[in-house]
Amino acid sequence: MIDIKNIHVDIGEKSILKGVDLSLEKGKVHVLMGTNGSGKSTLTKAIVGHYDTTVTKGEIFYNNKNIVELSPEQRALEGIFLSFQNPIEIAGVNNAYFLRTALNAKERFDGKKETNAASFLRLMKKHVSQLGMHQDMLIRSLNDGFSGGEKKRNEILQMEVLQPDLILLDEIDSGLDIDALKAVADGINRMRDGERTFLIITHYRRILDYVTPDYVHILQDGQIVKSGGFELVDILESQGYQAIQKDI
Amino acid sequence: MIHIGKNTSSTIVSKGISAMKGQNTYRGLVKVSPRADKARNFSQCDSLLIGSECGAHTFPYLDSLNSSAQVEHEATTSKISDEQLMYLRQRGIGEEDAVSMIIHGFCKEVFAKLPMEFAVEAKELLNLTLEGSVG
Repeated sequence: MIDIKNIHVDIGEKSILKGVDLSLEKGKVHVLMGTNGSGKSTLTKAIVGHYDTTVTKGEIFYNNKNIVELSPEQRALEGIFLSFQNPIEIAGVNNAYFLRTALNAKERFDGKKETNAASFLRLMKKHVSQLGMHQDMLIRSLNDGFSGGEKKRNEILQMEVLQPDLILLDEIDSGLDIDALKAVADGINRMRDGERTFLIITHYRRILDYVTPDYVHILQDGQIVKSGGFELVDILESQGYQAIQKDI
Repeated sequence: MIHIGKNTSSTIVSKGISAMKGQNTYRGLVKVSPRADKARNFSQCDSLLIGSECGAHTFPYLDSLNSSAQVEHEATTSKISDEQLMYLRQRGIGEEDAVSMIIHGFCKEVFAKLPMEFAVEAKELLNLTLEGSVG
């Protein structure tokens, strides 16, 4: 699905990723853990083409195509979705209108017929109630004045409507109460169909009790130092990052 | 806006957009005459900046000669940020469309008040004017 090869990424003048190699197997749920500042968010930003990041070396192959030179919107249309750690507020832009524009852009790109207003509304109502969101989410401005939990649910709503193939979730679980965490986890599990690939960034085991990962990767100082299964999470929870020995 | 009669009320909504090296200035006089008891006015001035070389200026003139009048002014300035554009683009919306979406959101309050024909014209004019002003 995605092959990251020896990627070096700078943010401003600072070198953050120093040769990351990571392959995400199609249809699997991958978890990325690491201390604060290890470069987890930078990695997702580099994958989506965020303007903060400069790729100085290496390649990102997505469906066997190097995407490093593609614009952010092209990468999104190819099926890459990032749920932002801090979703951005845009006053005046209606949430449903925004999402329909995004969906229609994707449909045009895929050569499909555009969803009309009525079917879109039905689709939205279904997803909104599945996520336990209030129906007025549809008429409010995009993330404007949303609580932390509402913003994260709104990211999941966008994911479910846009049906992307590669889903990057940057701390989707941070700051959520138990109900919101369950709603978010249910959304992820609904999308988990053996075709879509997930990369979940988290600091805590909590969400992984609801969404069982297939693989766990650990990023330290801008490099992947260990990959394995769920046992790595157990080691981290009990002994911290010191216990992780670098694979050589 | 000139208030002459008693219990009169008015609202002013001004939306200004500055792009490239544009400077946008709002000057508005609200005058309340001595006989306009309990006159009310609310003025709102919102400015949107596109790029870092433009500016917005607001000079409200409030001239009240009646002590029972209530005259309010509120101003905001916002900027289309790279982060907002990034967010929309990450959802597959092209850069120009993303800018247009944010601008239309900003003008919505005014467009909603226009008659249908004008609203359509205004939207198209706005798109035409702002074409290529970003990037």
